[in-house]
Amino acid sequence: MVTHRLNPEIHPGIAPRPTLRRRLDMAMRALMPSLFVVVSMVILSADLGLPGQAELSFALATGTVFFWSAHRPASMTAVMTFCIGLIGELLGFGPPGVLLFSLLVMHGVAHLWRYGLSRISFLFAWALLGALSLVLSLFGWAIACIGSLTFLSPVPSLFQMAVTIGVYPTLSALFSWARRTVADPEQA
Amino acid sequence: MLSIQGRQALAKLMLPLFFVLSIGLVMLGLTRRPVVDRLRMDVADALSPAYRLMAAPGSALADLRRDLVGLTALAGENARLRAENAKLRRWYDVAVALANENAQLKANLHWIPDNAPSFVSGHVLRDAGGLYGRSVLLAVGEGHTLLPGDVALDAAGLLGRVTETGDRTVRILLINDEASRIPVMLTASHGNAIMAGDGSPYPRLIYYAQDNRPVEGERVITAEQPAPGGRAHGGFAGMPGGLVVGTVHYLHPGSPVVVPEASLDHPDIIRVFNYMNADHDGPQAPGRVPLTPPMPVAPALPFIPFQKPMRGQG
Repeated sequence: MVTHRLNPEIHPGIAPRPTLRRRLDMAMRALMPSLFVVVSMVILSADLGLPGQAELSFALATGTVFFWSAHRPASMTAVMTFCIGLIGELLGFGPPGVLLFSLLVMHGVAHLWRYGLSRISFLFAWALLGALSLVLSLFGWAIACIGSLTFLSPVPSLFQMAVTIGVYPTLSALFSWARRTVADPEQA
Repeated sequence: MLSIQGRQALAKLMLPLFFVLSIGLVMLGLTRRPVVDRLRMDVADALSPAYRLMAAPGSALADLRRDLVGLTALAGENARLRAENAKLRRWYDVAVALANENAQLKANLHWIPDNAPSFVSGHVLRDAGGLYGRSVLLAVGEGHTLLPGDVALDAAGLLGRVTETGDRTVRILLINDEASRIPVMLTASHGNAIMAGDGSPYPRLIYYAQDNRPVEGERVITAEQPAPGGRAHGGFAGMPGGLVVGTVHYLHPGSPVVVPEASLDHPDIIRVFNYMNADHDGPQAPGRVPLTPPMPVAPALPFIPFQKPMRGQG
């Protein structure tokens, strides 16, 4: 996990009273990444007239799960990832199970290598995400080919991978700020 | 309550369990896709008011942009419309003359007109195809009587067929989807073929007669296909004949495709037709002996060999 500067505790052991409001605030901050993914998936499933909405939805979901599983696993547990994946499966019309499986792979890899990811530079983490998105997009393409029993063009999958790689730096910058501020349960 | 070790073991088991469930979902999608699509349709049906709300600002912006662009090119647009209007007036005269002639010929033939098809118009709510599919979700309102197989047209031509129906929405498989197969007729060469979608904007023509190949530029219309088992029995509507699809074009020698008339890229307002006349099994031919159902118990006739026929029989 990435070490970050915490506020010095002047009186260690003294914590704010766990009122209902504070507990709700903490829960909301912990659920912020999951809510971000679900809301973005709902919005991107509507007809907004944007090109590549399905690809962008996949990119936002995988990027978010990858970042939070590596940098704050308590905000992106396996259960949360599974729930996000299920909601995404219900909202989309792609090959069933592919998004759920992809999110679980992202979560598993990022969670397993979270200590290594915190030590390496952003570029290596980005390259890892790119490699994973390539493999998972090709997995989705293979499942779509098997489902339709024809050889489909892999171009949509490669475009999805490109969108995933392209969106991640912006997402990462946004989440790095959110991790210290609005999505930090310690600041509730 | 579980101990700390128990909870840790459970937490470690969760991810493998979820992987197994996700692979199960992939398998379910490959073997029982309609079950998953039914669930997704229910969710999309419930979310249809929200989709309409979310698309409202975008459509308002598009209208505003169209108005602004129209204002900037007002003079040119007026000149174009005047020329088009003059051309349309000439076509109107031709159409009226042809309609009169057609009515006269039909009156001479004692033509029995087909039932006028009922239709439902709706706005496209969202894309419902994912990365590889080409289908849209259409809002048709509550109380519709549409069935899977009903045809969807936009202002110019055939767009697709209904595959799933919900309470307020229907899902339409566009003609360029990988799974779409439409029987078509070629108007100049009088041949039949199947129009098969392949994900590209131009569906391919397959299964045409090798000695009667499609001609470049000829019009393609739908061929009539009765409903399997009839509308009342099957729950799957037939395909009416004579609907405009597009024109034949050869992208490469030997591989004819159809250039569709309908706007497949950004369909907006779609009409879904309910053609009852395509749902019959065939006309009752005059003089045709109706089939009688077999009797429950065949009466035993006496067997008399070499009996001479009586006069007046046989």
